[in-house]
Amino acid sequence: MSASAIEAHDLVKTYPGGRGRPDVRALDGLTLTVPAGTVHGLLGPNGAGKSTTTKVLTTLSTPTSGAARVAGQDVIREPGQVRRRIGYVSQGTGADQLLTPRENLVMAARLRGLGRAAASARAAELVDRFGFAEYADRGAATLSGGTRRKLDVALGLVGSPHVLFLDEPTTGLDPEARAAMWDEIRRLSGEDALTVLLTTHYLEEADRLADGLSIVDRGRVVAAGTPDELKATLRGDTLTVDLVEPDADLVRRVAGAVPGLDEVLVHVEGPAGRLVARTPDGPMLVGPTIAALQSAGVRHGAVAVSRPTLDDVYLRHAGRSWTSAETVEVAR
Amino acid sequence: MSAATAGWGTQLDQVTRRWVTDAIRQPWGLGVAIVQPVIWIVLFGNVFQSVAQVPGFGHDDYLTFLVPGILMMTVLYSGAWAGTGFIEDIRSGVMDRLLSSPVSRSALVLGQLVQQLMICVVQGVMVLAIGALAGAHYSGGAVGMAVALGASVLLAAAFCSVSAAVALLARDQTALIGISTIVVLPATFVSTALMPAQLLPDWVATAAKLNPLTWATSVAQTAMSPDVDWGLVATRSLWLTALAAAVAWWSLRAMRSYQRSL
Repeated sequence: MSASAIEAHDLVKTYPGGRGRPDVRALDGLTLTVPAGTVHGLLGPNGAGKSTTTKVLTTLSTPTSGAARVAGQDVIREPGQVRRRIGYVSQGTGADQLLTPRENLVMAARLRGLGRAAASARAAELVDRFGFAEYADRGAATLSGGTRRKLDVALGLVGSPHVLFLDEPTTGLDPEARAAMWDEIRRLSGEDALTVLLTTHYLEEADRLADGLSIVDRGRVVAAGTPDELKATLRGDTLTVDLVEPDADLVRRVAGAVPGLDEVLVHVEGPAGRLVARTPDGPMLVGPTIAALQSAGVRHGAVAVSRPTLDDVYLRHAGRSWTSAETVEVAR
Repeated sequence: MSAATAGWGTQLDQVTRRWVTDAIRQPWGLGVAIVQPVIWIVLFGNVFQSVAQVPGFGHDDYLTFLVPGILMMTVLYSGAWAGTGFIEDIRSGVMDRLLSSPVSRSALVLGQLVQQLMICVVQGVMVLAIGALAGAHYSGGAVGMAVALGASVLLAAAFCSVSAAVALLARDQTALIGISTIVVLPATFVSTALMPAQLLPDWVATAAKLNPLTWATSVAQTAMSPDVDWGLVATRSLWLTALAAAVAWWSLRAMRSYQRSL
């Protein structure tokens, strides 16, 4: 078996636009390599192509062009072989709500060829491992959001996959359930030979869980590396100034003129706004920046200097889509 | 060592079990499926009672004539909703999970069909029992009743597959409402389910001959009558089988078409 659990090359996926509208290009030459045994994060805004990538790699969807291998098998030529080696946890629930969690797990195991006894044992093992024994024999519809999501992940693991796909596993969960899910995913990544591909739009989630990251925007990977590598590409600090009823153009002009302030972003939302800029030396530039803003009559709130976070990496590569194009403009 | 995949028989069995369990856990749905034919037998049986006195009716009493028709109507009216489960699965994400696992597409489609046919048999037995209680005579005995149920299963296989195919192609519950109002209701009246052919207007009688509901009804009517026309039973059963096979094949194609749309 090759060292890469996932190799996707130049994937393109277009959907018909319908009613005379142009085709939608969900994937536009996406290339991705994930080493076996790692957790890889696909990070990007909604509509960036994360879910489409997952659908292609799990054989649900056929790419318009390009090639991909998962667990050593070609997703287009050998979809059956891929399906035997993967688990897929979609954004929706994978569980039949009228069955109990245990019944769902047993059925999934039987469909994957386990005998009656082996399937029961496998279900019991997963119930135990994910700690929902007390809910295992109630209707799945009565489970809390967090437990339901654990059941979804357990269903993905029934077939002891080589590669597990988690499509936004924590979206819609409360913070406590999210933290619990993170623990589970971290635990999974410790297991030998399991590769996890995780899509998320939570930067914190990607930073905590992923060994490797690909930032996806408009159907392509726009940046890739470990979280630390990606952060290291941004030297210096981030300077953030909260603004009150700002005139975006004015702020951009004023801040852009401050020597040492780069990549100025102004983000306006209702009456509030925010100036985000990169600088080689944050603390030294707080004074000049504030002075420039005040002399231009811009009202401001809190000022902060921070080390690069994944947020900044993300903003830099996918910033246009992060919020709508009208509110964020990059001045270089 | 990773698990491979189950044999096709096991897959079909598991998928069928899942749908049967789902049906049992929705007692309201099952209850309606059983109460509906009761209401029809009582209602139509009383409203149309006097039809038996019309010259040329050709049967002794209307109720005995009516039961085979109600049997087949029941199949049509519940079968129209057979695709609902697929729409729900597509919406929830269960379908995506199943399609990304090593499960045969035909097992997914046919497993659900088998469950529908099981419900159809339960409903059919109820219809015959209630008809008997209301005073219908089944001269054909156990064999006649079995043949009638067999015809209803063939009709159900065809019609539930239509519903499944439409569900997988349209992925919208309203499309199924369309089937039930635009197809099922007219089909009921352009058939010999409620009225013998000789009392129908000419054009309706002609159209009714092409209606699978008529084929199934005639099989059940003759099979439960004192002198069975086995030739009629054989030809109509053959037609129904061919139709069911063709539509089941279409529903399998619809499953593939759904996947291509992803």
